[in-house]
Amino acid sequence: MSDPSGGAGPGNAVSWVSQNVVAGLGLILLGVFGVWATGDLPRGTLGAMGPGMLPHWVAVCVAVCGFALAVTGFVRGGEGLQSFGLRGPVVVVLAILAFAVTIRPVSFGPVTTPGLGLIVAGPLAVILGGYASPEARFRELLILALLLTAGCMLLFGDLLNLPIPIFPTALIEAASGKIPSRVMLRLAVGALALIGLGLLLLQRRSSRRAGTDVARHSMTA
Amino acid sequence: MPDLLSNLGLGFAVALSLQNVMLCFLGCLVGTLIGVLPGVGPIATIAMLLPITFGLDPVGALIMLAGIYYGAQYGGSTTAILVNIPGEATSVVTTLDGHQMARQGRAGIALGTAAIASFFAGTVATLLIAALGAPLTRLALIFGPAEYFALMVMGLAFAVVLAHGSVLKAVAMILVGVLFACIGTDLETGEERMTFGFTFLTDGVDFSVLAMGLFGVAEILRNLDNTETREIARARIGRLLPGLADLRQATPATLRGTAIGALLGILPGNGAVLGPFAAYTVEKRIARDPSRFGRGAIEGVAGPESANNAGAQTAFIPLLTLGIPPNAVMALMVGAMTIHGIVPGPGVMTKSPELFWGMIASMWVGNLMLLVINLPLVGVWVRLLKVPYRLMFPAILMFCSIGIYSINSLPTDVMLIAAFGVFGYVLIKFGFEPAPLLLGFVLGKLMEEYLRRALTLSRGDAMVFLERPVSAVLFLVAFTILALALLPSLRKSRDEVFTEA
Repeated sequence: MSDPSGGAGPGNAVSWVSQNVVAGLGLILLGVFGVWATGDLPRGTLGAMGPGMLPHWVAVCVAVCGFALAVTGFVRGGEGLQSFGLRGPVVVVLAILAFAVTIRPVSFGPVTTPGLGLIVAGPLAVILGGYASPEARFRELLILALLLTAGCMLLFGDLLNLPIPIFPTALIEAASGKIPSRVMLRLAVGALALIGLGLLLLQRRSSRRAGTDVARHSMTA
Repeated sequence: MPDLLSNLGLGFAVALSLQNVMLCFLGCLVGTLIGVLPGVGPIATIAMLLPITFGLDPVGALIMLAGIYYGAQYGGSTTAILVNIPGEATSVVTTLDGHQMARQGRAGIALGTAAIASFFAGTVATLLIAALGAPLTRLALIFGPAEYFALMVMGLAFAVVLAHGSVLKAVAMILVGVLFACIGTDLETGEERMTFGFTFLTDGVDFSVLAMGLFGVAEILRNLDNTETREIARARIGRLLPGLADLRQATPATLRGTAIGALLGILPGNGAVLGPFAAYTVEKRIARDPSRFGRGAIEGVAGPESANNAGAQTAFIPLLTLGIPPNAVMALMVGAMTIHGIVPGPGVMTKSPELFWGMIASMWVGNLMLLVINLPLVGVWVRLLKVPYRLMFPAILMFCSIGIYSINSLPTDVMLIAAFGVFGYVLIKFGFEPAPLLLGFVLGKLMEEYLRRALTLSRGDAMVFLERPVSAVLFLVAFTILALALLPSLRKSRDEVFTEA
């Protein structure tokens, strides 16, 4: 999807450009892009509207709005640009993408990713995504990932029967006919939950010994 | 009247079947659970939990979704009172007095008042929907494409006026939403528009994908920026039931709030959002001692909370009778209905009365359940609030990914929520509100269809919209409120309503 302020990029507050000027320019770009993208579609007449009619004029209106916004921003000034965090967006996008390419085989031209199923994609998204926050701690995220994945496998795979791949495709092929899939699922859930709970207990014990650590959770106290 | 009673009787017979009561309960519980988490509003909650209802029959699925919706809505006010973080836009005003009450050690009474006021408002709104459903459905039958188009234009005009901040930005967001709606195969001619040859765009952008990106992922990104300090009212929750003196103060406020909320909720264009703000302003204006507000006045909780709940429910009226979703949550309901093969609109009531009336009756059942679930479980919700955000957002992220993947089994949908998430984050940073975009997206498809049909019928004569009386009136209303919104004096008072503090 095109980004209406793609040109702005990350940056700290720049006092001489107001928010509205950049936002307006972004909208103009989006509008022009829309006009270009629908340029090859027949517009037809009012009596028989073609596929290009509405999007063309809507895109024009977007650009006009952007122009008006930029002009008012230029004349009246206004709030400066807000600062952007980079770590959050980049890491979160990576985590979501990691989930998307591992949940089932996806092909990009000649390359096909192996479908690894929820049992891999879930923890991957949780642990990777967790690092979007500077306060991330690996062990905590690992426990969370294991328990959440176990819960989701049980909920979505077993109880709700949604068509979401749980295991790597290779594993399913190897196990087909030998172990019923339900049994395999429940065994995996049990194993994940046990490991997760075990780690949780260990952490509890160690954090109780080092009592000061807890006090640092000031954000939530 | 006997008609209404027999209809409601049918509704309750459906809603009170064991399975549906269980689903309603489950929906309310899960909805509250997720709604309590700060940063997850009703839109993201419903989008996330949509797949859970796939395996159910349509009535059960919609009952559960409606329960999730009320639960999420209600959970928002719990966080507003206890943590001073509104779980969603409509509970912003509850933070003003609700949290002050909590600081004074009256958290329990604030929660109790909110619950009771919401329940009362929900009851009134349910009756209102039941009473208005049939006549409005009849009205819908005389609507032609021109009238539908005009109605949607009016809805969008209201959405502009009711949005926070700049009018120009709200208009721009709606237009961008309509533009996004054009992506994909044109239904009438079968030509692909703006797909750039990507096969995953041929069916257009799925509504839940856009909603999840703009409201789920973007919200996470925004929250990661402001590591706000949360302070949970440490004082005891205290007793939950308000005393006689409290009740005497809260009752008139509840009545007024219900009336205001119910009226605004029916408006197309997300009127429900304005309800709590308007109710709070009214309470403050007519209070004998306005300085009490902002310092823990119980009316400041009862009024907005009842308006909030009443509006949330009457918003179902345009959807169930005309088939037009007035806000993003209702648009998700359209998505859910379509998945189950129901076309929202005047036909629902005649073709599947058990669904229509069952859903209405379940609204009341759901409200009762919220009262029963929430008051005893307040302690659990408080505990939930203590989960640090650094652990909460990875979980939300995973739920979002699984939820979106299971709707169409497309990894590209999951990738798109990341794209829309970043897009929404940029929008927020530039002072745009994503809600009008979503509404424009939802109404865009319908509008194009009706515009085409109306113009085909009139052989290309655009005057048809002004010649037909009903559509002319709707257009007139739309342009009047837009013009008024641009007037400096009115803009000022509109800003006042939103920034009242």
